[in-house]
Amino acid sequence: MSEVIAQFEGVGHQYEGGSEIFKGVTFDIKKGSFQFLTGPSGSGKTSLLRMLFLGLKPTWGSIRLFGEDPLIMSPNVLPFLRQKIGVVFQEFKLLDHLNIVENVSLPLRVLGIDTRQGYRQAQELLDWVGLADCHKAYPPSLSGGQKQRVAIARAVITRPHLLLADEPTGNVDDEMAIKLLHLFEELNKMGTAVLIATHNRLLLDSSYCAQLLLRGGTLITKPPRRMHS
Amino acid sequence: MNRQDLPLKNDIAARFVPKIVALMVYLGTLCFVFTLFMVHSTESWEKQFSTQLTLEIPTTNKASSAVLQTRVLQLLQRTPGILNATPVPHKEMADLLQGLLGEEVNVEHLTLPIVIDITLNGKEIVDVPTLEAHLKNISPQIHLSDHRGWQNQVSGLIHTSIMIALVVTVLILLGALVTTTFATRTSLLIHRQVIEVLSLIGATPTYIANQFQRNAFKQGLIASGIGSGLAFVTFIGILYLMENAGFSATVRSSFFFEALCVFLFVPLFTAASMMISVRFAVMKELNQ
Repeated sequence: MSEVIAQFEGVGHQYEGGSEIFKGVTFDIKKGSFQFLTGPSGSGKTSLLRMLFLGLKPTWGSIRLFGEDPLIMSPNVLPFLRQKIGVVFQEFKLLDHLNIVENVSLPLRVLGIDTRQGYRQAQELLDWVGLADCHKAYPPSLSGGQKQRVAIARAVITRPHLLLADEPTGNVDDEMAIKLLHLFEELNKMGTAVLIATHNRLLLDSSYCAQLLLRGGTLITKPPRRMHS
Repeated sequence: MNRQDLPLKNDIAARFVPKIVALMVYLGTLCFVFTLFMVHSTESWEKQFSTQLTLEIPTTNKASSAVLQTRVLQLLQRTPGILNATPVPHKEMADLLQGLLGEEVNVEHLTLPIVIDITLNGKEIVDVPTLEAHLKNISPQIHLSDHRGWQNQVSGLIHTSIMIALVVTVLILLGALVTTTFATRTSLLIHRQVIEVLSLIGATPTYIANQFQRNAFKQGLIASGIGSGLAFVTFIGILYLMENAGFSATVRSSFFFEALCVFLFVPLFTAASMMISVRFAVMKELNQ
């Protein structure tokens, strides 16, 4: 039986003074798994991801991440849990005062890895996501698609145990979307559990992975499609 | 190339804090060095007055005054605790009076008393009332002036001034630290988004605080170095002006060494204090 990285039990969320977003959500993320989180806009995909990277507390239910309960764990543990998670944010969250090599190597710096080594790894990843020519560019000068690829490179540079991506193909063309999907699949083959929140049909149809469908405040798990020989 | 993750050099707080710190350090260092100067100059003055007595023998006629002087000197030589007793030369007394009364008065016509400067050895306690009684036996008109009474009052006043100066110095430095803490809080608000990103990728509060404290130490060292340097120049200028105006104070050479240490160590001390207060402020905010 695979090791469970994240476990949601009857989780629900309601913003203060707002309506209930979802309730009774139960699912788990196993080590090395690959899943899509899908659902219509406003269904709570981003909120669910935020709970996974410990940016939002649930209103109901319990969460376990890497065996820890975020609601009762010591605040000192939080950064170390986050170091195991790579996140591609919908709004990229790149630092405008750093060039893209510095942005991508930032998680390695946080881990205390030598800056030069970090830059080398960042350059390799940037080459891989097709940004070989703009290592020294700054985020404000990049297009939405380029920023997205930088954000992906930053999220995967530490080879996290869990990769969370919020609409990672929202700003790229179909060709790049498929390329990025292959990138995630390669990372997954190396043992990283991947959860991608998307409503990109192309991605969903191109993959044979399990889908978590968030609709009407509840979560439905769709098993992986069978591969036809 | 090793840029800081947080662009602390460019925010408003970074531009405003060094100027305030430089000014505070300038005032604080100057205040502290002058306090030190007062301690040293009053130390030699206090030592001098705590071992001095003055004796005055009125002159009725020259012959009897000379006899009185001899008897008094003999008594003083026998008195334990007295190092030496020297009559002030008549010419010195006349010159002193001439200076006080002006050229119009002919001091040669005045009857000047015999003044004896008594130096105590400082090791034994001189019983002044008994000595005074013995002197009165020789002549009731002999007057012994013990400067220690008023010297104690002046000394108390000086020590109070020194304490006030030290409190002012400490308050100035505290002011610098409070300013730094408020500027850090502003900085935390300005860079909230960058801090959020760093936190989300797993940066510990210590990692973030290290960036703030490194910046604070560097800023503090430069700003307080400038403040201390300017205070040094001002101090030398004031000493020069005092010297030219004829107020040369007697201080030991150790004062100059101590003052130099203050000018050198205040920037280091300020920078270290700023670093610690910034770390404390950041850790407190982040842990909340």
